[in-house]
Amino acid sequence: MAASRPGPPQRAPLPPRGRISWFEIVLFAGCAAFVGLDLAPALQDVSVLTFLFAGLALAWNIAGGYAGLISFGHAAFFGTGAYASTILLLHYDLTPWLGIFAGASAAALAGAVLALICARLKGPFFILSTLAFAEVVRIVALNWPALTGGPEGLSISPVPDLANMVLASKQGYAALMFGYMALVWAITRGLEASRFGFRLLAVRDNDDAASAAGINPLAVRTAAMALSAALTGMGGTLFAQYFLYLDPTYVISPELSFQFAMLSTVGGLGTAVGRSWGRS
Amino acid sequence: MTTLLQLLVSGVLTGSIYALMSIGLTLIFGVLRIVNFAHGEFLMIAMYGAWALGRLCGINPYLAAIIVIPAMFLFGAAAYQLVVRPGLGKPHLVVAFATMGLSIFLQNAALMLMTADLRDIPPVFARSLTLGPIYIKDELLLGFVITLACTSALQWMLKRTYLGKAIRATVQDGEAAQLMGIAVPRIFLITFALGSALVGLAACVMVPLFSVFPAVGLNFVLIAFVIVVLGGMGSIEGALIGGVCVGVVQSLSGYYVAPAFAQLFFFLLFLLAMIFRPNGLLGQQGAATIGTSE
Repeated sequence: MAASRPGPPQRAPLPPRGRISWFEIVLFAGCAAFVGLDLAPALQDVSVLTFLFAGLALAWNIAGGYAGLISFGHAAFFGTGAYASTILLLHYDLTPWLGIFAGASAAALAGAVLALICARLKGPFFILSTLAFAEVVRIVALNWPALTGGPEGLSISPVPDLANMVLASKQGYAALMFGYMALVWAITRGLEASRFGFRLLAVRDNDDAASAAGINPLAVRTAAMALSAALTGMGGTLFAQYFLYLDPTYVISPELSFQFAMLSTVGGLGTAVGRSWGRS
Repeated sequence: MTTLLQLLVSGVLTGSIYALMSIGLTLIFGVLRIVNFAHGEFLMIAMYGAWALGRLCGINPYLAAIIVIPAMFLFGAAAYQLVVRPGLGKPHLVVAFATMGLSIFLQNAALMLMTADLRDIPPVFARSLTLGPIYIKDELLLGFVITLACTSALQWMLKRTYLGKAIRATVQDGEAAQLMGIAVPRIFLITFALGSALVGLAACVMVPLFSVFPAVGLNFVLIAFVIVVLGGMGSIEGALIGGVCVGVVQSLSGYYVAPAFAQLFFFLLFLLAMIFRPNGLLGQQGAATIGTSE
């Protein structure tokens, strides 16, 4: 009986690599048209969030879909990126255009640490550890008011200023988020066709066989988590620049982590276009 | 010295109640090898049940257990049939998301039906017990006794009865158990329902101590995850020890460091346990490294 003992998991056949389908072209053209149109503000809000979360789901998918690292702790990276760039902006007057990379680096570091902590864990243990990791980050952020403003959060001045990535129109934000989504999509696509991408799949599908073929699974997992975390951190910065307000209870909540994972899963694991489709 | 003793006593007692709430999860985790992310919402529903019986019918919450436990058994059986069973044998993500979807659904349903208000029942016991300089809340002490009784009964059931032996055989080797004539799918169903019934008992013990609100589950389920992994998945004594550890850590760090950091400490405890003892304190060898459904 199938239910009695889990057999080897059924994997979907690998999608064709490196080729861009007509579907993707149409989808992206449609999204670009949405940016170009002068829509009602409520609709523009929808498109800003759609593009942002599509990018975030794509970023989650690098770890969760390609490397098989099902993480329920990505909100920690999102929060790290958002806080890093915002703190740099507020205390050191560094523009978020650069701060976004600082945030991405901080998030990548956090991702690498998480991957190393959880190196030996599989299945439910890995999932629960990522959840606990994000909770640790959230509680620290909540109780370190000098750095993060604690439960009151941080606000960014709402005066439009292109140099500080505070845009005047929602259309501008939609374009920015579209750029982010396109970037994460391009990286994912590049990954699919690359040697590193194949290593991810190999490690996901059979750890031992991958080691036997000369792949270091720990290094591959750590790199995948760091890349996914860095991209999620960039999303965090963009989120902070759009809402101009951050508090640990939302940006590092378990619910947000679940959301990334869920959007990604709706689109289908381990394919590039599915992510964006799940949100659209 | 008295303060320390007081903190230890309340830590152990609160921890035992946390353990009671986690036993259902560890049982399900150990036998079906799945994480029930809706565990906290099961607790929430059962707590609302106990609250409603207390508030509307004036039934003492400890007596309400007689109604809440069978109701949760049936609820668990239904949830298993509808949500969990279709995902068994597929990658963990499937069951994780199915139960998480159930959890979101239940939480929002509760929000709609019950609103976000905090609900309490009046205290059951008028005063605390004093033991020399130590104060003990009667509800906590009673919870501690119920937890011990419940774990002993469960141990006895697992060791001595046919059902218990069938459950243990399924844990050891599901295929061989099936060949020996054990109806493994039915064991899964009974275990899941039994785990849910235990949550019902925990809810009745917790209602006099904690307020009920739709999101109450999330907070407790995170504690339960920590306890289950700390104790070793599927181990009932482990859950008891894990629960007491978490209770003591929470009470000590809450007093000596800061209440806000109490949770931080047990999540750190959890991560340390994962790094150095990935099988938990009393878990099966290699449980964490054998990919459970891969």
